[in-house]
Amino acid sequence: MKKILFVMFAVLFAAVSLEAQKADRDNYKIMVDGLGCPFCAYGLEKKFKDFKGIKNVKIDVETGEFTFTYPSDKPLSVDKVAKQVDLAGYTPISTEIRRADGTVEKSEDVEEVVAPEDAVEASLFVAGNCNMCRSRIVKAAKSVKGVFTAEWDKETKMLTVEMDDSVAEKEYVARAVATAGHDTKTAKADTKVYKQLPGCCRYKRIK
Amino acid sequence: MNQSNIFYLFFISVLFFSCAAPVKQWEEKSIIQLEGINPLGMAKTENGFWISDSDNNNLINMDNDGKIISTIPDFERPMHISIFNNEVYVPEYGTDTIVKINNGEKIKLELNDSLDAPAGVDVLGDKMGIADFYNHRILFKNGDEYSSIGKEGHGDGELYYPTDVQIFNDWVYVADAYNNRVQVFDFEGNVKQVIGADQGMNAATGLFVSEEYLFVTDFENDRVLVFDNTGNLLQEITENMNKPTDVILANGKLYIANYKGKNIIVLE
Repeated sequence: MKKILFVMFAVLFAAVSLEAQKADRDNYKIMVDGLGCPFCAYGLEKKFKDFKGIKNVKIDVETGEFTFTYPSDKPLSVDKVAKQVDLAGYTPISTEIRRADGTVEKSEDVEEVVAPEDAVEASLFVAGNCNMCRSRIVKAAKSVKGVFTAEWDKETKMLTVEMDDSVAEKEYVARAVATAGHDTKTAKADTKVYKQLPGCCRYKRIK
Repeated sequence: MNQSNIFYLFFISVLFFSCAAPVKQWEEKSIIQLEGINPLGMAKTENGFWISDSDNNNLINMDNDGKIISTIPDFERPMHISIFNNEVYVPEYGTDTIVKINNGEKIKLELNDSLDAPAGVDVLGDKMGIADFYNHRILFKNGDEYSSIGKEGHGDGELYYPTDVQIFNDWVYVADAYNNRVQVFDFEGNVKQVIGADQGMNAATGLFVSEEYLFVTDFENDRVLVFDNTGNLLQEITENMNKPTDVILANGKLYIANYKGKNIIVLE
């Protein structure tokens, strides 16, 4: 009888400890765009595993869902997490954090923009290789004030934007994508930024 | 040149070209559809395949029709696998280890060097080659001796994120993925041949070499390139390709693993 009681208490204690442990951790979920190559996608998972305190790191290549848990006494902000994913060379679309105390923080939803009828279309060559490059290039182009839409073709390497040409210029777009790590014919990526891109994104540089 | 000489030359030419063996063209015969499996690596058995499903962290044994015989779960990103003496060798990208499967048991191999994201392994007798992805090299084991083949770079003999390796005769063939080519080394690490660099590949992720052919999966371009053993391109396979990652030739049939397509294409 004593043995049975002892085992019951031990199991109860273990269960309570586990719940307490979970309660001390925040749950992070980031939607990452453009994942397609498993060799690089698993690299993001691996990189984040190096952070002290991080656990349960998992990436779903098909959906782009990247999740992990982190101690709640060292909270990371939505912006900081997105920036870390960005620095690793990947393109975060949205971030959601479920704190241990039950509160939820989310990044702002990005609204789909429709170009007005008088928008001007412009095209430029942007070096890149894969879908992760596409996501990064499009995000950088859309960050330029006055740019409504952007599409990058992986085969032709041509970026096509629709913009308000009273506010935006093709050269601004070129500089923005170069800042993100992609060479254009008029603006070149910083070598340090280029070298931080995932392996599959290290396109042949424009001379 | 008189008429009889011209006739003679013409006759010899006709004889020569009619005797030249036509180049074999691989044609699709069937598709093995895989339910819920994203195949990355593949190795042939007598009755079927071992498949590494890296997205779901499983190693799967299936028959030639794609019916699952057994599943070994709980890997951390199993990549390009190898079979030798009925034992399956599995590089685990997530744990930087090589695991051997013996009668369903996982045995972690002790190596005299450390890996960083092993993406492929090949075992042949007492030799082992490991595509050491983030270290940009092949860790080569010959008996009890270890050596490094290649180093990070884009020149001949240098590697940039290698993802697959095969030891064939006295050579080490390497899928030099993000240099978009295959390189062939001797056991001392000297480069003998560079293949496919002029073919516009975009991520040469998997390879298979036989006496007659070299097959290379061109991942981002959704195709498999077929070369002869001197590096001449013979064929470009594009039909039903959807992010191919691995290829094997067995018993006269060519098997191509489509990672995104979740299937294996069979050609003859």
